[in-house]
Amino acid sequence: MHSSTRKAAAIMTDVHRRFLQLLMTHGVLEEWEIKRLQKHCYKVHDCNATVEKLEDFINNINSVLESLYIEIKKGVTEDDGRPIYALVNLATTPISKMATDFAENELDLFRKALDLIMDSETGFASSTNILNLVDQLKGKKMRKKEAEQVLQKFAQNKWLIEKEGEFTLHGRAILEMEQYIRETYPDSVKICNICHSLLIQGQSCETCGIRMHLPCVAKYFKSNSEPRCPHCNDYWPHEIPEVFDPEKEREAGISKSNRRSLRSRQH
Amino acid sequence: EPPIPEQRESAPWFQSQDPEGSEGLGVWSRTSSACCTREQPDSCSETQGLEVAHISKATEETFPSFSHSLMPGNMKETPAAETPSTPEGPQSACSSSTVTTTTSSSKSNESSSRQEEEAIPASSQSSPDTKDVPVGSLDEKVTLLVQFLLHKYQMKEPITEADMLDVVIKEYKDDIPEILKRASEHMELVFGVDVKEVDPTSHSYALVNKLGLTYDARLSGDEGMPKTSLLLIILGVIFMKGNRATEEEIWEVLNMMDLHSGKEHFMFGEPRKFITKDLVQQKYLEYCQVPDGDPPCYEFLWGPRAHAETNKMKLLEFLSKIHESDPRCFPSQYQEALRDEAERARARVFSNVPFNITFH
Repeated sequence: MHSSTRKAAAIMTDVHRRFLQLLMTHGVLEEWEIKRLQKHCYKVHDCNATVEKLEDFINNINSVLESLYIEIKKGVTEDDGRPIYALVNLATTPISKMATDFAENELDLFRKALDLIMDSETGFASSTNILNLVDQLKGKKMRKKEAEQVLQKFAQNKWLIEKEGEFTLHGRAILEMEQYIRETYPDSVKICNICHSLLIQGQSCETCGIRMHLPCVAKYFKSNSEPRCPHCNDYWPHEIPEVFDPEKEREAGISKSNRRSLRSRQH
Repeated sequence: EPPIPEQRESAPWFQSQDPEGSEGLGVWSRTSSACCTREQPDSCSETQGLEVAHISKATEETFPSFSHSLMPGNMKETPAAETPSTPEGPQSACSSSTVTTTTSSSKSNESSSRQEEEAIPASSQSSPDTKDVPVGSLDEKVTLLVQFLLHKYQMKEPITEADMLDVVIKEYKDDIPEILKRASEHMELVFGVDVKEVDPTSHSYALVNKLGLTYDARLSGDEGMPKTSLLLIILGVIFMKGNRATEEEIWEVLNMMDLHSGKEHFMFGEPRKFITKDLVQQKYLEYCQVPDGDPPCYEFLWGPRAHAETNKMKLLEFLSKIHESDPRCFPSQYQEALRDEAERARARVFSNVPFNITFH
């Protein structure tokens, strides 16, 4: 057996394989969903074993996936800081992941929307502006009415988020496409001042222009009554958001679990 | 012993065609009350229409996952030149034993041309932007092939050797068997997916879930159970009818479940498309014209993927569960399933033999 497969043989069991298959199937999962998935895989393939701690479980699988340039990546939603997980292919252009569900002209619509999102100041592109580009699409001709539905499909499949007629990238898209975006839009890419990851939506300092993710803002300014810009020290003009707190969630979950199965979920 | 009545009109489809006197069952028929054994008339229940919940539960219990005993781990078919050892049905071969170097026809792959150039995963025309994979090594090609196979697995599309050549291994034609073998090992060990040659003539491969007949959530809106159950019922009909069932026979059963050709069902969509196209494309069923049929008619057989992912014994257990009886209620099918199991066990044993043996 080849050396790279030896490691796989030592670590991977049907529990892990089923986990990977189902994660691939779902595309992206929130933390509570992935924990439930993990339990399901144990129940089905090795019901007597203790369920390994999720972080270790994932790290083990990732050590096997490393040589294939694939990874189970953990990210955080930009709007409310919830942890999400996806199986990400590190060595290819990520639009191919979407190709399982979308036709050529639909993929091109996504690219156009992405162009507008990256160009925008707020990280949002209006539905109208996206639809106006319908004539420029490659592939089969698409009417605006159709394009509206395709945009909805993107939202349903968690590639885009819609808010009041405007579209931005879903956490899933950011997780899968960060590198691609950095390389394709080197001039318009925005970075968070706190975590240094790609930033699509967030808050920015009106004086010096640095940006921060909403969850990063929440964490950085936690219990700070006079928030100031970490870069220029000017007064931070925005409302400090409330975001997902894993500790609070866990406590809430423990009290709930006495009554029913652990399904703690923010909103 | 009462002879088995030819009741095709009133359709106790569950009745086997065995002339040796196995008891038939009218479980799906609203009118028939044929019983499985004379000693246990109560064990047969007459189902008036389908209870999906009951069937789903039976599916869940019988096929929660398949242990390795169901999936002969390294079941290898002897290469085409040898006498095939399996009695019936297309058996899938482990790809590494039957890969032959094809004269690569650079036939364009329609599915990949449908995608944008940049959307082709693992393209050997990798732009300098993609993350650096060790260049020029066999490892790189194996990695690219694994990624391509994963992509095709999610697309639920078969792959041909020409695909692989075009996309992945242009310069490495001679190394194809080795690359494919290592990529297949990865697919099996890491993802539980088998790369099985399903058509030796066109050298096409199917990516088969080794973990058993899984209710792939993509297959249906929810966790996939109803569509799996429907597939199992169809496989059951085919089995009970002697391993081939006419389209008419299948519809008889589906109509009883309130599934009609052309009528959209909230769970299954349009049933005719589901059974003649979707399940055929996924290699669970084969749909072929009956030779010399006049007017032309069609029949269904198990597809290679059905053979790979399940077996007759499991299916019999499932059917018995729906019927709340025991596999031994269907003696001839039970015999056939036992023979099938013995055959698979033998194939497992002899797959480890280092040289090929032909039996006469």
